Amino acid sequence: MDVKGQIVEVISSTLDVGKDELKDGQNLYDSIGVDSTEMVEVVVVLNKHFGIKIETNEVTKFTIIEEIVDIVNKKKQG
Amino acid sequence: MNERVAITGVGIVSPCGLKKETFWANLKRGESFIDEIKRFDASLYPSRIAGQVHELDHYTHLSGRLIKKIDVFSHMGLVASEQALKDAKVDLENIDKKRVGVFMGNAIGGWLFAETELRDMYIEGREGISPYMASAWFPAAPQGQITIYYGFKGYSKTIVADKASSALSIWYAAKIIAQGKNDLILAGGMEAPVTPYALLSANTCGNLSKNNLNYKKAYKPYDLYRDGFVLGEGSGVVTLEKESCANKRGVPIYGFIKGIGFSSDGYDSVRYRPNSDELEYAIESCLTDAGWEKDSIDYICLDGEGTVIGDYLETQALKNVFKEKISEISLSAPKSMFGNLLGAQTAVDLIATVLSMKNSIVLPTINYQMNDPYCDLDYTPNKAISREINKALIIARGRGGINVVLAVEKK
Repeated sequence: MDVKGQIVEVISSTLDVGKDELKDGQNLYDSIGVDSTEMVEVVVVLNKHFGIKIETNEVTKFTIIEEIVDIVNKKKQG
Repeated sequence: MNERVAITGVGIVSPCGLKKETFWANLKRGESFIDEIKRFDASLYPSRIAGQVHELDHYTHLSGRLIKKIDVFSHMGLVASEQALKDAKVDLENIDKKRVGVFMGNAIGGWLFAETELRDMYIEGREGISPYMASAWFPAAPQGQITIYYGFKGYSKTIVADKASSALSIWYAAKIIAQGKNDLILAGGMEAPVTPYALLSANTCGNLSKNNLNYKKAYKPYDLYRDGFVLGEGSGVVTLEKESCANKRGVPIYGFIKGIGFSSDGYDSVRYRPNSDELEYAIESCLTDAGWEKDSIDYICLDGEGTVIGDYLETQALKNVFKEKISEISLSAPKSMFGNLLGAQTAVDLIATVLSMKNSIVLPTINYQMNDPYCDLDYTPNKAISREINKALIIARGRGGINVVLAVEKK
């Protein structure tokens, strides 16, 4: 699965939302009404899943999916 | 209070039912809903029995996404709130949410969530703890979750006062309605004490029955062989609004909150002052606040702590305040059927009382077998009786002597 697919999978299983609710070009607040505590959990799980270290202020509820993909890719490259 | 504060909806999550219909039908039968605690190993606890809620997930309207963020006490409060709002036929689309408040009582907080997460933190380190922990465990969490869930923005509060928590939250809410600060308030309380740590703490206070083998008969207030109360878990929530608002909306009214009496023993952190002066003062001031004569009371929903001293002091207080007229008042402690829900107890007592008014039935005090010469009133033993109830008092006592008396009337 590509990085974006994995991110969608992580968010959907972490927050118990449908994958189809996470729309392209939309941030998580607009698409699924995510709150700041949920974002902390998403970041923790993303870090575990990809073995990376994103800070909680790097990915917020206003970050769109594609930006999250970029951030994860950059962190993976080190 | 100038205009009367009406109760227009009730919501209940209790060991004897998660709907008002089941709750009432079960109470009327006078059976015990106390059971052994099996959800964790409680075999070494001195008291290991409780009134428990087993089917919350079956009755819930919440998403899995929300449930995993909150402790079970918030979950119970949200389910009871939803019932109360539906029962009161509140139009959530067209109500001014800035004038809707949430007033809840809770004594101990959300320990199931806290215990699990703190354990993970000590085992796995910082990363092991859920980010929801910070907002899940504290006593005001249910109030917050209810306001967020419905988008209510009016004046709201949580009150922590042991077993009198929801008595005070309901009174506080009634005052705010009477003053016109809010149009509608969800008032009540919730408690989830059947967790390994919370049960341990409750055991430490020493007032719980240790009659584990005969658990159905363990909670026997006023009986000669009483040995303490039994814990219960659940939530009770009522909707409060001005009588004129209820009439304008055309919804039925269960009854009215008419007054409160309050006093503190100022004596010890756990024990009551060994005389009944402060409780008498609370009853007297409640009668004054409601403007009621002593001979106008039909029913008193008792605290019935089930301890030797607690029941004796309560009996003394009633005799001293009402003198010979006490024999004309029906008395009972319905909580003997399902346990004391601590911070949620008075809300549940209030719901039981307004349903008793509606059905003209006095619920019984169960497990009453042996007369105690020091507790010699008629506590409506074991069987419900028929009686018109118009004016009722509800007594709630917290540990160390937080004495609260609520006055409720039907007409």
